[in-house]
Amino acid sequence: MSSKGSEEENEETLYPIAILIDELKNEDLQLRLNSIKRLSTISSALGPDRTRTELIPFLNESCIDDEDEVLLALAEELGNFVSAVGGAEKASCLLAPLETLCNVEEATVRDKAVKSLNKIATEMKAIQQTDQHFLPLVRRLSSGDWFTSRSSSCGLFAVVYPLCNNEIKAELRQTYGKLCTDSTPMVRRSAATHLGEFASKVEKEHVTTELINMFQHIRDDEQDSVRLLAIQNCVAFANILSAKESLQYVFPCIKSCSTDKSWRVRYMVAEHFRALCESMGPEVVRNELVGIYVKLTQDTEAEVRTAAGVKIAEVCSLIPKELLIKDVLAPIETLVYDKSEHVRAALASDIMGLAPALGKDDTIKYLVPLFLQLLKDEYPEVRLNIISKLDVVNQVIGVDLLAQSLLPAIVELAEDKQWRVRLAIIEYIPLLASQLGVRFFDDKLSNLCMTWLADSVFSIREAATNNLKKLTEIFGVDWARNNLLPRVMAMSNNSNYLYRMTTLFAISVLASVLNGELIAEKMLGVALNMSKDPVPNIRFNVAKTLQIIIPRVEPRIVQDQIRPCLTVLSQDDDPDVKYFAAQALHHVI
Amino acid sequence: MDLDKLIEQLYNGNHLAEADVKKVCDMAKEYFSQVPNVLSIAAPVTVCGDIHGQFFDLIELFRIGGKLPNTNYLFMGDYVDRGYHSVEVVTLLLCLKLRYKNRVNILRGNHESRQITQVYGFYDECLRKYGGENVWKMLTDVFDYLPLAALIDDQILCVHGGLSPSIDSLHNIRALERVQEIPLDGAMCDLMWSDPDERNGWGLSPRGAGYTFGQDISEQFIHNNELTVVARAHQLVMEGYNWSHTGNVVTIFTAPNYCYRCGNKAAIMEVDDLLGCSFLQFDPAPRSENSSQAKKVMPEYFL
Repeated sequence: MSSKGSEEENEETLYPIAILIDELKNEDLQLRLNSIKRLSTISSALGPDRTRTELIPFLNESCIDDEDEVLLALAEELGNFVSAVGGAEKASCLLAPLETLCNVEEATVRDKAVKSLNKIATEMKAIQQTDQHFLPLVRRLSSGDWFTSRSSSCGLFAVVYPLCNNEIKAELRQTYGKLCTDSTPMVRRSAATHLGEFASKVEKEHVTTELINMFQHIRDDEQDSVRLLAIQNCVAFANILSAKESLQYVFPCIKSCSTDKSWRVRYMVAEHFRALCESMGPEVVRNELVGIYVKLTQDTEAEVRTAAGVKIAEVCSLIPKELLIKDVLAPIETLVYDKSEHVRAALASDIMGLAPALGKDDTIKYLVPLFLQLLKDEYPEVRLNIISKLDVVNQVIGVDLLAQSLLPAIVELAEDKQWRVRLAIIEYIPLLASQLGVRFFDDKLSNLCMTWLADSVFSIREAATNNLKKLTEIFGVDWARNNLLPRVMAMSNNSNYLYRMTTLFAISVLASVLNGELIAEKMLGVALNMSKDPVPNIRFNVAKTLQIIIPRVEPRIVQDQIRPCLTVLSQDDDPDVKYFAAQALHHVI
Repeated sequence: MDLDKLIEQLYNGNHLAEADVKKVCDMAKEYFSQVPNVLSIAAPVTVCGDIHGQFFDLIELFRIGGKLPNTNYLFMGDYVDRGYHSVEVVTLLLCLKLRYKNRVNILRGNHESRQITQVYGFYDECLRKYGGENVWKMLTDVFDYLPLAALIDDQILCVHGGLSPSIDSLHNIRALERVQEIPLDGAMCDLMWSDPDERNGWGLSPRGAGYTFGQDISEQFIHNNELTVVARAHQLVMEGYNWSHTGNVVTIFTAPNYCYRCGNKAAIMEVDDLLGCSFLQFDPAPRSENSSQAKKVMPEYFL
């Protein structure tokens, strides 16, 4: 690179730049990448003129054969380079390197380059004669020999079209039509992907005449990977067209896609169903789309039924309740008994969302039996998905009815073989407890809570321990003293050290909600006793527990009882016991 | 070095920087060079078998068995190969070992070897995640120092593979020169390669290394050394654990759905204060968790 200013100044400013530029050529991929990602630093040191006349040509020549990672970073950086080259008026110099990047093999690089070109075009919009720069670019790309350039060109029409006069607009529409029927499926896919965006920029009279043809070509394409892109275009076109035109042009496409011979296309219909409903309007939904949706829930392919299953609540929220009960409930019921567990799990994750649409009475009448069936499903994820959404039903039918109808099934699940199912139930217990009241809890749930404290899985014991605190907050200190503490403290005699440890964890957790008196009276003695446990893990957990208790009890108790115990522990043979005892002793004074 | 920070980083599913791996390896080599071939361990302890790079299932293991340092652990080798996260698994176990020296122990398995890891994935994973073979070299150097066996309260012998015709007593194991690449035959090789078999006596192993040994062999060995049980890993068992030789030998396998497709359960063996053994079985960590984490640990190579 040549220099302009005084020698000395150049040395200073150019030194780090020289390094960065050196690194652009370094053998180490990581260094080249770093350097590309700091292109803005280089350019701000060079200034706009030299960035334009030296850096950009340099990048255009030397980096273009680099690895895809470097090209991807370059494509991204160039999109942010308008001000670096001196603003929108000078930004056209960025088009050459990006055009090269639009031609490379790697699709992610091309996509990024197209994105950056869009960004630059948006910034250049206000400038006169922008079309003079972009139009030839689009023409070259869209008529390129190799599919990569034609495929890239599709993403540029939407931004260029509004800049042009009517004659050229007609040419662009015609070119796009050709891309939609290109001989290479990759190009047709790209054309299909960008058609909706292009349509939003095209005058409506041409949409209903010319673009609708392109849309129909895509729908009838021989490749299912192209056809499945028709669905997103349905949404885009329906948003542009009037309700009547949508029914005439778009609805037939939805219908034919929903019975396409390729399940991937049908899957896309299910996947985009909500958007389709919203764009087609309530009347079409009622008269036509509900029927299509019902068919999708009964599709031969499990993937399609799964996609339909997870959409149930949002689709049903768009249709009137009578229609829902009349037409949709029966197919939902067949999904409850679907032979694929993935379908049932998908349904279970969403079916609770129907409750608000149905209201209290109909939820009890129609949905609760389905919930009960899903709670009995042999596949744990199905059961889990129902339990984790119970609060939605709770809001609709109230906790009393929930308890009456579902509690027996829930209690059964409390002993589920799958620990994650047990965990989900545990997490639901405080809510149940607060709604059902203390008598119901003591009657039906307290034994379960105690069983969980001695569960063989640690995470269950941990969650059950944390629940003790929440339960004490709900039912009060007296309840904890009489019902909780005796049973929890008794666990300190368990023959397995992991279960003895639960007592210590419980003391630590409860210390934050019980008063100092109760801690000293009911829990401290147990903890101190455990400091003589033969297992070191218990002894250092005594130290950790005492550390938590210290600020909660009177200083006299700390000095008379806790300090001597910790002092003994700090002389222990086991290094971990020593360590945690010393930690706790820091808190004594 | 702040081991707690490294452990936290690994728990979050992010592999260590090369410089940190080096520090951990240096510490580990120094530590393990002072350790005998046969560790003496006191019950209670939770005994685990093969992990094979299934990092998220190792995290699941801690959810089931409890966290360190509260629960004591013994791992019986095969931390690497097959799974996608060997680097994370083995560095996490090394960090935990160095941080909680009295709470966790790790033995050597037949996959903790230069030769085997070049074939079954660990070497490639290191290359992919670190862009060079340094990390693989450092970690396989540490493998040479790992102890060969552990003895729980003088009664339960834990070893990765099994017994050897060259080993009559624990003294034979203690006398081995262990700091080396696993040899192709001989006592050290057999400890890491052998399998129990229904046929009595010694047999040729279909694996091409180690032997098969019958109930007569395990009975004799247990009697001679005043043991109650030999616990070992090394073989896929569908329930995660399996008793053989009428209770002389137990196999523990801790990689659920091994290689992400075998459909087996994993198990760990909790040896309680009184040497009672109970088994906890578990399934793979949920897939969604796996994939979201997997994206995070995607090596630079792929980006």
